[in-house]
Amino acid sequence: MRSMRSTRRALVAGGAVLVALLAGLALAALAGAGPATTIGALAEGMAGTPYAIGKSLNTAAVLMLVGAGFSLAHRAGLVNVGGEGQLCAGGIAATAVGTTLPAATPALVGVPLTLLAAFTAGGLWAAIAAVLLVRRGTSEIITTLLLNFVGLALVTLMVHEPTLLRQPVTSSETLPQSAPLVDGAHLPLLGVERSPATVAILLALIATAVIGVVSRHTPAGLRLRALGQSPAAAARLGVRAGPTRVVALSTAGAFAGLGGGLLVSTAPALLAEGFTSGFGFAGLVVGLLAGGSMLALTAAALLLAFLTSGGINLQLVAGVPSTTVAIIQSLIILLIAATATWAAGKKATR
Amino acid sequence: MMLTQILVSGLGLALPLLIAAVGELVSERAGVLNLSLEAMMLTGAFTAVTGTVLTGSAWLGAACGLCGGLLVGLAQTLLSVRLRADQIVVGVAANALALAATTFGARLLLDGDRGVTGFERLPIPVLADVPVIGPVLFAQTALGYLCAGVVLVTGLLLGPRTGWGLRIDATGEDAGAADWTGLPVRRIRALCILLTSALAGLGGAQLALSEVHAFSDNMTAGIGYLAVVAVIAGRWRTPGTVVAAVAFGVAQALQYALPAAGVGLPPAVLTMIPYLVAIVAVSGLAGASRAPSCLTVPFARA
Amino acid sequence: MGLLVLEDLGRSFGPVRALHGVSLTVAPGTVHCVLGENGAGKSTLCNLVYGGFAPTTGTMTLRGRRYRPGSPAQALAHGVAMVHQHFSLVPTMTVEQNLLLGGRGLRLRKADLGRRLERIAGEFGLTVPRDALVGDLPIGARQRVEIVKALLPGPDLVLLDEPTAVLDGPEIEALIATCRAVAASGRSVVLVTHKLGEVAAAADEATVLRSGTVAGGGPLAGDASVPRLLALMLGRDPDDLDPAVTAGLGVRVDVATGDATDVDAATGDATVGDAAAERAGGSAGREPVLRVEGITLGRAGRTRILADVSLTLAPGEIVGIAGVEGNGQSDLVHVLSGATRADAGTVHLGGVDITRATPARRTALGLGVVPEDRHHEAMVGAMSVAENLYLARLGDFRRFGLLDRRRLDTAAADVIASFDIRTSSPRTPMGSLSGGNQQKVVLAREVAIPGLKVLIAAQPTRGLDVGAVDHVLARLRAVAAGGVAVLVVSSELPELLALCDRIHVAYSGRLLGPVPAGGERAADEIGALMTGAGRSAAAPANEETGAVA
Repeated sequence: MRSMRSTRRALVAGGAVLVALLAGLALAALAGAGPATTIGALAEGMAGTPYAIGKSLNTAAVLMLVGAGFSLAHRAGLVNVGGEGQLCAGGIAATAVGTTLPAATPALVGVPLTLLAAFTAGGLWAAIAAVLLVRRGTSEIITTLLLNFVGLALVTLMVHEPTLLRQPVTSSETLPQSAPLVDGAHLPLLGVERSPATVAILLALIATAVIGVVSRHTPAGLRLRALGQSPAAAARLGVRAGPTRVVALSTAGAFAGLGGGLLVSTAPALLAEGFTSGFGFAGLVVGLLAGGSMLALTAAALLLAFLTSGGINLQLVAGVPSTTVAIIQSLIILLIAATATWAAGKKATR
Repeated sequence: MMLTQILVSGLGLALPLLIAAVGELVSERAGVLNLSLEAMMLTGAFTAVTGTVLTGSAWLGAACGLCGGLLVGLAQTLLSVRLRADQIVVGVAANALALAATTFGARLLLDGDRGVTGFERLPIPVLADVPVIGPVLFAQTALGYLCAGVVLVTGLLLGPRTGWGLRIDATGEDAGAADWTGLPVRRIRALCILLTSALAGLGGAQLALSEVHAFSDNMTAGIGYLAVVAVIAGRWRTPGTVVAAVAFGVAQALQYALPAAGVGLPPAVLTMIPYLVAIVAVSGLAGASRAPSCLTVPFARA
Repeated sequence: MGLLVLEDLGRSFGPVRALHGVSLTVAPGTVHCVLGENGAGKSTLCNLVYGGFAPTTGTMTLRGRRYRPGSPAQALAHGVAMVHQHFSLVPTMTVEQNLLLGGRGLRLRKADLGRRLERIAGEFGLTVPRDALVGDLPIGARQRVEIVKALLPGPDLVLLDEPTAVLDGPEIEALIATCRAVAASGRSVVLVTHKLGEVAAAADEATVLRSGTVAGGGPLAGDASVPRLLALMLGRDPDDLDPAVTAGLGVRVDVATGDATDVDAATGDATVGDAAAERAGGSAGREPVLRVEGITLGRAGRTRILADVSLTLAPGEIVGIAGVEGNGQSDLVHVLSGATRADAGTVHLGGVDITRATPARRTALGLGVVPEDRHHEAMVGAMSVAENLYLARLGDFRRFGLLDRRRLDTAAADVIASFDIRTSSPRTPMGSLSGGNQQKVVLAREVAIPGLKVLIAAQPTRGLDVGAVDHVLARLRAVAAGGVAVLVVSSELPELLALCDRIHVAYSGRLLGPVPAGGERAADEIGALMTGAGRSAAAPANEETGAVA
């Protein structure tokens, strides 16, 4: 029974990715690029150069963090649609800390401080939705969603106002973005030649592993699952629903916030409008694709990250709008959602 | 004068939001949450502009807008009613898909030619000259009047005191009981979603053809979400939903009206306002009422 | 010729055969009983006839024509109506709105509805409060609405699925009278039940289902048929069972001869309280371990759910709470378990005030609860049996901070063996077990609470087959014999009479009594309290609720 279900789930995930990729090829053809050109451009953008690979790995790290957080909250029966806003909160906090640290701060101090600020800010941002859920019964889906818009606007505000985080305005040419973070707040590179890959991917792998172990192999993880599956029974068995929900959703937000911190502390190491690049949404896709398995989560994050890098190259080289990748992502979710009932082994609707 | 200005542009933005919200209210009463409302509106706006450009007729364009919304509605129906997919997940994904697909489509079909004449304002003689109320209510475009009429008719025909309204409410309150009573639960839900999507598509067309007179990427920018929130803030009742929708519309209009009036708030703060208002509205008011019991719960017999 | 003829009907769910080879004929103008214990396939049969789902084998014929309803709507169109076990009324709507739901078109035809309601009132003596909110109605009145709703379209065949499970004596009598009146008007009634007593009183003919197929049946000849039907239904010797089990079926077993006779369906009068009477002497005068004082619970702007409820339990005694459902007993259990906070009153457990304690604290102090709603409150269906057994005590199975699954499974295997839980392994998902085995898991978990002082069991035998009922009742007795105070909330009065030392009655949010269970007239006294007859003596009635009925 269980093995049939996991087989079906893997089949669905694989099939959805395949169908969506084929649809992407068709769209590219519509835009005037033949399959050979498209695949070539995609492949080169994805893994053609050490630079491309490094970029993709950095992106994958962020997606893994957002996705792992989503999975954790989902285990407790919560749907965190607020990845985008939490990335923003994390990015803002990291920038605030990273630009105010003394210029001579060593990386051993600067990086942890910056990332801790991002982690905390993301958690607090999500805690708003969590507290409203527990106190007022407001659906966390609606609040996390609305908070995305607020978070994005907050970034705009931060980088436009000189009194906030905007870099010193010297001329009318000064871009609306923050000053660069001090060197000590930059994420160290992995050290692979000509690759921009940072330690972000290692951090993300560790975080994902920890979340995986905690949610499957500890009493706390089981209690979280019980709460998600059956709130009333969990309460009867001593799980305190309110505090547990707040912790779960805040932790999800904190991991997304950490992702935001990683984004701004990677070159060019500054905060600008649109710095989240829709990774909040892509992270949600990763979480949904994974269905609770951390291994699948890592694979899905890598896939989407490489696709994203490939998509950018696709626009540059073949003139296919990079939104094609967004179309592929959303098609994947729709296909998985459509087959969820079947994958769960339930009776099909007549 | 300033107040009139805010109200005029406020109602201008409120009308698309209002027609979508009134449609969404019907769906939610039947037990289906369409977060994809944003997708329906954006697709509606895109197909309306494209249709107008291709046919040269604003009315045919508006019809295309309605059909664009319906297209998303069909997908939502297939997924959430027929295949019992998670309504929230489908909604979020449909919005992302619509955003990407319309952006893609606009590059392909509309490049360089995104503006349309659309609909002209048609002030109703005498009424439009009444101070404040006149320009606010009686100087809409033909499509605007149509939208207002549709809102009114929907409210009257599907209100909780009609046979149709009663059966819709039963479907959303207790789908199992409705089924045992012999009501075609899935068909009722499908029709409600299709109605919602047609109205939302029309709302998108109204936004594009009567207000903005163009299509721009992500031009709905969250209006669809606000329409969903308006239903919650309006406690699943028509009058409340209308009030909330208009309030959100006015909050949106402040973005343009306040700078014009010389109020020196940063634009980003103004962008936030409608969403902050929405968060306060759902958390402050929703607690006092109850959503339809079967909202977001797919129906399957036995 | 029969109105409805079923031939070789069967229905499978995956590998499970819920029903197979069922043939029966319902004659026009008769009451046909389908009898069987829980899990015998009765509800599946109803679903097939009412279009809930399609049969996998066999055919149905209605008025000589092939009958294949694809939905309840089609069944209704063919003149088949059903009164559902869990009601098909929308609780947030008024009675009138519910009755109007079956109509068509935009207009609400209230005048037409009024005329038809008058006709039903004239023909069957059934009246309903049109403007009352269904959710506010007592269960009996709700069932009347349900029956009126079924009769409104003028059906030829009315199915009633376990209609008496939630009714008290007089209401059951009224229901049986209604069935007879409907049959007398030329329509057919199919009464589906597991209570033999009602069959004898109401039916012209009976079909007994056992393990998904027909075990026997035929025309009824009054009480004489009862022993034969009982044997058919159980498929085993009734003497092997706890007398409380057979009492719950509406049958009294004379232990000396093994002969079964039916009991008065209205009161469930059974003389099986001897064991309880013996035990009652021993526990009297001991210091109470659970003391409930003045518990009051309100609903915003409406009726009071619980009004000044007080109760004491001494170690080793079994106290029952009888009463028709919806009189506040479920809410009392929620208050005691910590799921709901009372507006006023106190609860003491072993001298400690637990009025505001969390469920976890209550468990730590020795309170076990077997909740009424097993699927939502007692278990997590997607988690394993082992996890369900130890969810509250996972801390005991930690090694280096991680969960030691092997130790967890070993511990669970012991419990599974000692409670005779039928499961393939400790890691089997709880949701895939049968209802009886699920209940055993829940009971095993609650009984194993360290330092257990009080066990509360709410409707502990509901929906279980006879074997499981037997097991659960034996466990409850054993727990009490071990010095634990046991509180049993049940709508099965005969079961309570056989099990308890004394019995309270929940009526309109108050607790009436107690009545000693061993007394000669115990059943009559409790029956009277259940209809509110004794309320003026015990306590003033809750007026708002009374007015609705």
